[in-house]
Amino acid sequence: MPNQEEQLLIGRIKEGNGDSWEQLITRYENRLYYYAAKRVNNQETCEDLVQETFLAFLSNIKTFNPDKKIQNYLFGIIKNKVVDFIRRKKAVTINSAPADSSGNPNDSVFIDSAQGASTWYRGEEKKTLENEALLNGLSLLINHYISKNEYNKLMAIELIFVLGLSNLETAGKLGIKNTEVASIFHWAKNFIHDYLQNSGLSSDIFPQFYEKDLLL
Amino acid sequence: MTITNALLDAYIDDQLNEQEINRIEKALRDSPELQKRLETIIKDRDQGEHSVGAIWRREHLSCPNREELSSYGCSALDKKRMDYIKFHLEMIGCKACQANLDDLTSLNASGKEKKLSDKQKLFIKNSKIIASRKE
Repeated sequence: MPNQEEQLLIGRIKEGNGDSWEQLITRYENRLYYYAAKRVNNQETCEDLVQETFLAFLSNIKTFNPDKKIQNYLFGIIKNKVVDFIRRKKAVTINSAPADSSGNPNDSVFIDSAQGASTWYRGEEKKTLENEALLNGLSLLINHYISKNEYNKLMAIELIFVLGLSNLETAGKLGIKNTEVASIFHWAKNFIHDYLQNSGLSSDIFPQFYEKDLLL
Repeated sequence: MTITNALLDAYIDDQLNEQEINRIEKALRDSPELQKRLETIIKDRDQGEHSVGAIWRREHLSCPNREELSSYGCSALDKKRMDYIKFHLEMIGCKACQANLDDLTSLNASGKEKKLSDKQKLFIKNSKIIASRKE
């Protein structure tokens, strides 16, 4: 949840207060710059991406959900800007260069994810309720591990969910047994399953948490 | 290493490091089946389907806050929390937390806010005018 100060700042920007807008830029621009610089090795381009991010934020500010953190929203925008920039750059390089050593044009992997506005809105509508429930369940799970100081379990779950590693790969990364990872994952899955069930969500929304042995 | 759908999902979200990205892109070039899987995942996401990983990444659920990252930079947290943040920064490769840490480190080094370039000053000036016209 954002703090009250952030909500007030957004409220003032929505009212057209230019100084509050400057305050928001000053607060977030460096961290956004460093985010872009992780993938883009050109200072001027990084600055451009940061500025485009702020303009995108400003043009959508009326619909900004005050329950969201500004930082998460801005990082979400710049992530897309950076990915788009890298894909465009690769496409340009490919168009002016011969095929790689295997004879394949390198741009074949980039798939356009553009979509019609109506599809997007239908998707957003459907997502809201489900996302909130899963978000709350995951937050409870993470807080549970942190409050119990069980960081090894949090690390295992994060590798599986966030990086998409298998149980075996997770065990290898953390230097623990495969069976231990399976047990941690099983417990976490049941925790989320119970939370979703208690929230009254239909079982077809997140089948991975209802079919208890699907991912094990 | 297996390329799971969850790993492709992390690839779409730009969560992976450069080495992993290159590995996946090479595999995608070589495998029409993998391209098809990626296409399906993108289509599902566009239609409102979502994965646990996508939600976790988008909401930054396990990211430490700025105060904690600052303490991490000074080694002022207990060992378990220090180890976890190191894991989150390096093994998970969270770019948002890395960016925050770089920002904090630069602030600590200079002892003040970064000096703005002329281009940045001009942007602030112009965008302030746009912001003031919102209502």
